[in-house]
Amino acid sequence: MPNTATDSGMSYQLALQQLTDSALPTGAFAHSLGFETYIERGLVHDEESFGVWLAAFIGQQLTFSDGLAIRFLYEGVPVPDLDSLLTAQLLPRQLREASVKMGSRLLEIGSEVFPSPALDEYRDLVATGRAAGHQPLAFAAVARSLGVPLPEALAAYLFAAVTSLTQNAVRAIPLGQNAGQRLLRKASDGVAAAAERIGHLTPDDFGAISPGLEISQMRHERQRARMFMS
Amino acid sequence: MSTTAAEAGLVTISPGPAAADDRGRVRFAVPATPRPLSPASADRPEIGRLELRVAVRDQRSVAAHQYHQGALRVLRPHYLDDSGQVCYVLVNPGGAYLGADLFVLDVEVGDGAKLLLTTQSATKVYRTPGSFAEQRMRLRLGEGSQLELAPDQLIAYREASYRQNTHITVRPSSSLVMAEVVTPGWSPDGESFRYEKLRLRTEIHVEVAGQTQLLALDNVLIRPSGNDVTGMGFMEGFSHLGSLIVVDARVDQALADELHHVTAAHDAYTGVSLTAPVAGTAGLVLRSLSNSTGELNRLLGACTTLLRDRWYGQAPLNLRKY
Repeated sequence: MPNTATDSGMSYQLALQQLTDSALPTGAFAHSLGFETYIERGLVHDEESFGVWLAAFIGQQLTFSDGLAIRFLYEGVPVPDLDSLLTAQLLPRQLREASVKMGSRLLEIGSEVFPSPALDEYRDLVATGRAAGHQPLAFAAVARSLGVPLPEALAAYLFAAVTSLTQNAVRAIPLGQNAGQRLLRKASDGVAAAAERIGHLTPDDFGAISPGLEISQMRHERQRARMFMS
Repeated sequence: MSTTAAEAGLVTISPGPAAADDRGRVRFAVPATPRPLSPASADRPEIGRLELRVAVRDQRSVAAHQYHQGALRVLRPHYLDDSGQVCYVLVNPGGAYLGADLFVLDVEVGDGAKLLLTTQSATKVYRTPGSFAEQRMRLRLGEGSQLELAPDQLIAYREASYRQNTHITVRPSSSLVMAEVVTPGWSPDGESFRYEKLRLRTEIHVEVAGQTQLLALDNVLIRPSGNDVTGMGFMEGFSHLGSLIVVDARVDQALADELHHVTAAHDAYTGVSLTAPVAGTAGLVLRSLSNSTGELNRLLGACTTLLRDRWYGQAPLNLRKY
């Protein structure tokens, strides 16, 4: 069969599935990104209450930080600038460390299975201490090099993050497996809305996370008994 | 520092020799120096501008350059103790930010100089139909300099929209402590969060050998119009937001833990965390939610008291407002 546009479209589809599969070994299972603080306070305790937190996380953190960083990379903002912007904006220390931990794994995996000059360049910046290596940027570098259009890359990244968090909530709260699936179905509307909204934000919007989420992420540092690293 | 009168929406116009204009603001015909240092903003008309450069003379910090225009000025400087730190009190003679107002502040603390910058009263933002009031502040800190920023609270009233952009450049040896409280103003129906939008964006850069590196980007966006901002993941059931940002080479995890411990005694929901270090200095960010300005002021005051004592050998800040 000749190599057609359909073929290349199919190849990025499968690559995207591999990249966003929750089995991708980036260590996402170890991070609650702040929801464990709400569990400890008794505010997140069932399907409904986790859904409220998840909706806030999609509309805030994933929209104004991760998602917007991905968009900026696609628009050609230099990676070192975006990397330092993320390091400076992720004020809760554990969130910043989570982004860099998962980012470095993604850079490693990406360069083995989907190598590209852009990814090599980012890896080199990290290896020489000129960048931290953040998860959304590592993802965006790979997705862009594979020819994934921005709207698809955004939706895939956001939904992968939501899936990991929901799986972690299923274990931690705990919730039933079907409750997890209902949560994901509901969250997909929020993901679609976020992907759309990210396209309309301005550079000034970058990092505008609500105080409540950030305080909870900060407080996780001092929580005594915890399952998650963030 | 709690200002219940201000929270109830009372506007006080400072006594002064100049006549008030039609918006209730006092205009000053003769600036302290003939020319501003930085160019006027091209995109929006400036309602007030203040420039201040502080330097060391005979072991005391004094103004080396001062310029004001329109609805911003400073009171005569004073010294609260014998540390050499000069205290300037910022005054908005009009009493409030309105409409499409733009206020510009440009402050430089020279090498080794010490400045305490505060305000005479709360910053009040009233209705800004179809537009927003804006404050742009640029702060530069020299080597070994010290800046304490301790403004009264910002009150955003019904239908107010406000943007605050603060751009800070420090040196690795500078010491910065800035505290801020944001409160929703009283509205006739007694409900909080009747303002449109608040956007408070602070960038902190560290300058080394002519190169600057970003240390922290603190971006707060609260948009009650059309959104429920009161609940989980947003304001967590609280109405007031307090924040403290500290940048100093002495910032470390032990200090963050200690400040966290200090905040535990207060009726507020608080988080403290460290930035990544840059060029040998580091930042500490504290955010706190509560239902009262007084409680947040006490909490932030307890933190700055610890820092003033430990780092500067200064007594707790006691601002007698003039």
